[in-house]
Amino acid sequence: MRERITFVQKLGESLDPSTFKINGDSLTGPQIKAAREDRLTWALEELPYELQSLLEGAHEIHIRWVSPVAYEAVSPFLARLPPGFHLFFTPGAGTKAENTSEMLCSVLSEIFGGIHCSSPTASFTRLPNNRFSHATALQYFQPLSSLSGFIEYSKDKLCSPSDSSCIARLDRLNEASSLDISYDTISHALKGAASWPYQPHTIHATSRPRSRTEVGVLSADKPKNMEPHELGISGLLTVLGQDSSPSATVFTFPSRHRDAESGFSIKFLEPTGLHPTLQIRLDSNKPPSTDSYCSPHAYFTLPSTVFADKYQLDDDLFLASRNLTKLQYISQPVDLEAPEYVMEKWGSSILVELSPPNTEKSAPWTAEIPLHLRYLSPAQGGYHKVEVPYPAVFWACAAEEGTKFPTNPFEKVNLGYDGLFGPRTVFWHVEPRPEAGKLLQNAVKVPVLDLDKSQWVNIVTAITVLIGFAWVSWKLGVVYFASGHGSSAASSKPASEKKKQ
Amino acid sequence: MKEVKMARPTNAKPPPSDSLIECFFGNPLPIYLTAALLRIVLLVYGLWQDANSPLKYTDIDYLVFTDAARFVSRGQSPYDRETYRYTPVLAWLLLPTARTTGDPFWDVVWFSSGKVLFAVADIVAGWLLVKVLTMAGAGKNAMDATTARKFAAIWLLNPMVATISTRGSSEGLLGVLVTALLWAVLARRVTFAGLLLGFGVHFKIYPFIYAPAIVWWMDAERMSTNPGTPEKKTNEQQTPMGRLLSFITPERLRLALVSLTTFLGLNMVMFAIYGKPFLQHTFLHHVTRIDHRHNFSPYNTQLYLTSAFPSLSIWRIESIAFLPQLLLSCVLIPLVTAKKDLPTSMLAQTFAFVTFNKVCTSQYFLWYMIFLPLYLPDSSFLRHKGRLGISALALWVISQGLWLQQGYELEFLARSTFLPGLWLASLGFFLVNCWILGVIVGDAQGK
Repeated sequence: MRERITFVQKLGESLDPSTFKINGDSLTGPQIKAAREDRLTWALEELPYELQSLLEGAHEIHIRWVSPVAYEAVSPFLARLPPGFHLFFTPGAGTKAENTSEMLCSVLSEIFGGIHCSSPTASFTRLPNNRFSHATALQYFQPLSSLSGFIEYSKDKLCSPSDSSCIARLDRLNEASSLDISYDTISHALKGAASWPYQPHTIHATSRPRSRTEVGVLSADKPKNMEPHELGISGLLTVLGQDSSPSATVFTFPSRHRDAESGFSIKFLEPTGLHPTLQIRLDSNKPPSTDSYCSPHAYFTLPSTVFADKYQLDDDLFLASRNLTKLQYISQPVDLEAPEYVMEKWGSSILVELSPPNTEKSAPWTAEIPLHLRYLSPAQGGYHKVEVPYPAVFWACAAEEGTKFPTNPFEKVNLGYDGLFGPRTVFWHVEPRPEAGKLLQNAVKVPVLDLDKSQWVNIVTAITVLIGFAWVSWKLGVVYFASGHGSSAASSKPASEKKKQ
Repeated sequence: MKEVKMARPTNAKPPPSDSLIECFFGNPLPIYLTAALLRIVLLVYGLWQDANSPLKYTDIDYLVFTDAARFVSRGQSPYDRETYRYTPVLAWLLLPTARTTGDPFWDVVWFSSGKVLFAVADIVAGWLLVKVLTMAGAGKNAMDATTARKFAAIWLLNPMVATISTRGSSEGLLGVLVTALLWAVLARRVTFAGLLLGFGVHFKIYPFIYAPAIVWWMDAERMSTNPGTPEKKTNEQQTPMGRLLSFITPERLRLALVSLTTFLGLNMVMFAIYGKPFLQHTFLHHVTRIDHRHNFSPYNTQLYLTSAFPSLSIWRIESIAFLPQLLLSCVLIPLVTAKKDLPTSMLAQTFAFVTFNKVCTSQYFLWYMIFLPLYLPDSSFLRHKGRLGISALALWVISQGLWLQQGYELEFLARSTFLPGLWLASLGFFLVNCWILGVIVGDAQGK
């Protein structure tokens, strides 16, 4: 197992190396305000058997959980996703793959608790496969507000009951802003990364037996030789049990995820009705980078309770009236009619290109996305509450011809939207801000049939239909017994015909 | 006594406008010209609104049809368009709408050609109504052309009808198919009637309800060209077997054969070209759909409930709901009324079919509205200065309005009006419709 613990401060914040104490296999330091990322790598053989057999049938699997609690991101941990549980998955080949697909949903549910998928075939959606992307084949998403299920599962599997430091470390995941777990057949390793928001942290790390632990206390930097498409980092690196003092480092690397240094918030326009309109309010209509073509986008992962209609989002006038340019992508299939309670797919992801108004100075602006609610199952009280997670909002800018973006140690790939753009696209992320409270989600009240009032429905409907039927039948009977079924005009001719009836 | 009193003033002093009205309906040109003009104005207005407002005049269904036509023009299946639930014939008919010339003006013209087709179908349906009304031997006295045009105006100059077809809804095609069917039957053109019936059922399923009425109406006596034969037939009809045999007339056989061949032939061709999606979307969809979204049907609330909790219901409402519907529209109404007055029977059947259907939206109202000009002339709704008619119309509008108000609160204000508001409103609307249906059926007496 290898471990890397990184604290990253903002530009201009740095730490005096003399405040560090390195004592054999542990390191302690002062309390600093920073973002923290813990990255762990396991070889396949180090994992429990059940997990090994599951991963062996997968070509590639990425689990990304994002906290619904708003947090401030710090360079280079800038990539954003809608809050919730994301899964990107490419099955392997052969019988092992079948086994994996069969088990995947139940294993995930065991690990994370409350994962509602039934099987990849039924619940997952297919991602587009173009020549640019190295995207996975399948996608799954659902809102998941906390990692408590995962924490309990991990404590049980990873820590011995007496290992209090192990338990304490896992408990800290309660405050994490995101968790990423990835496996692919090429590296044959399982990587886990948890990050915590920019907040006060006390520097402390201890290496565990049979593992290599590296601790970095870094801050964003702008070295002189840095290119425009690069990020810079400087600070101190220590390998526990190996270094007696931290070594200074400074490096730059190209990054596809940048900070647009502006924010957005989301709300539903009132009244919401059955066709709620979601309004994105952005601080600025000016692109973050002036030397390349940029355009703002919003990437949504919509649970199956709500959906966008691609046919509605196909008219230029309609789009323009809502400050939208185009619906660039919508996962398929999206049933436009089915009620939520018969849906098998998790929902749908959409990528919408927004159209900022053209003003001389930077100004706040809004864009509106029309959505549609599905019918939900009847409930007591007549209403359901549906939470719609915030989208990831970013300016997509084209980097200069020839720019290469090799994967860097901090970068996330397979985010669902990165595969929808060319390899030279840079994502300048706009910071999500809660409309109220601290959660990055919006609630819609969905009217449903009120079960408290439904006890008479069957009987009264039946009686009413019978009354209607009886009335019409009665009138028909009156006509029949008065003048038969023949025509009186015709029967006037042969009189014998009429008598018979 | 009252009747005489009421009738006198209109007869006594013809108001000046009367002559103007007589003049308008006196010859064919004005009414068809007005009907056409009405549709042209609406069509052009619609184009303007579509080009200038994000709120579209064009019906969403029209976009579905034209998308499907575009798929067909590229050699693909119309069912590649989601929610296309119609026969491929419709997409074929609209193939011109998929034409692109590169000139935006002509592109719009081509795109709108489908609406023109629907509007023309409307007018042709109106013209056929006049033909049926002025026809001799249709079971009642032939009407003079001027009066016939007055009644046809209910359809031809009806703003609702004109709006629906110019917004691009295909119901106008149904109107022309059904009136042509009626005309063909009354004119004793059996083969043509069979073709229309087979095609109509292939096109929209519901016209199958007319088959029993037409077959029942087509007795030997009515179809015979020389009226000297009845005495011979009465002897044969003494035994049940004889009766059965005499029911099977060459005309009835021909109608059955032609309509079935047309229907099955079309289906086989479509199945050969488009395969399972054709069957699924055109026919099976209507069997498997769960109809949970709010609509006028009295069954709607119940269907929503049972679709969400399938295990809780002891008997499935879907399997019983068709009984009263089909019993009325295919058996009882045609049996009692078809021979007395075929157009009224078809009106009542359609009315029953729509009223008792598991799903009911306002476009279905057009299905029976086409028959109103044929039924109203001697209906009890128009007697006594039309007091009954006005009450019926008022009740129909008010009960529908109540439902729409509840529907608005649900759809746009997100108020949970499913129970009891929407449910009671749909039951109320249902009962009003049943009452109207009772009056229509009652009017068959003595005919």
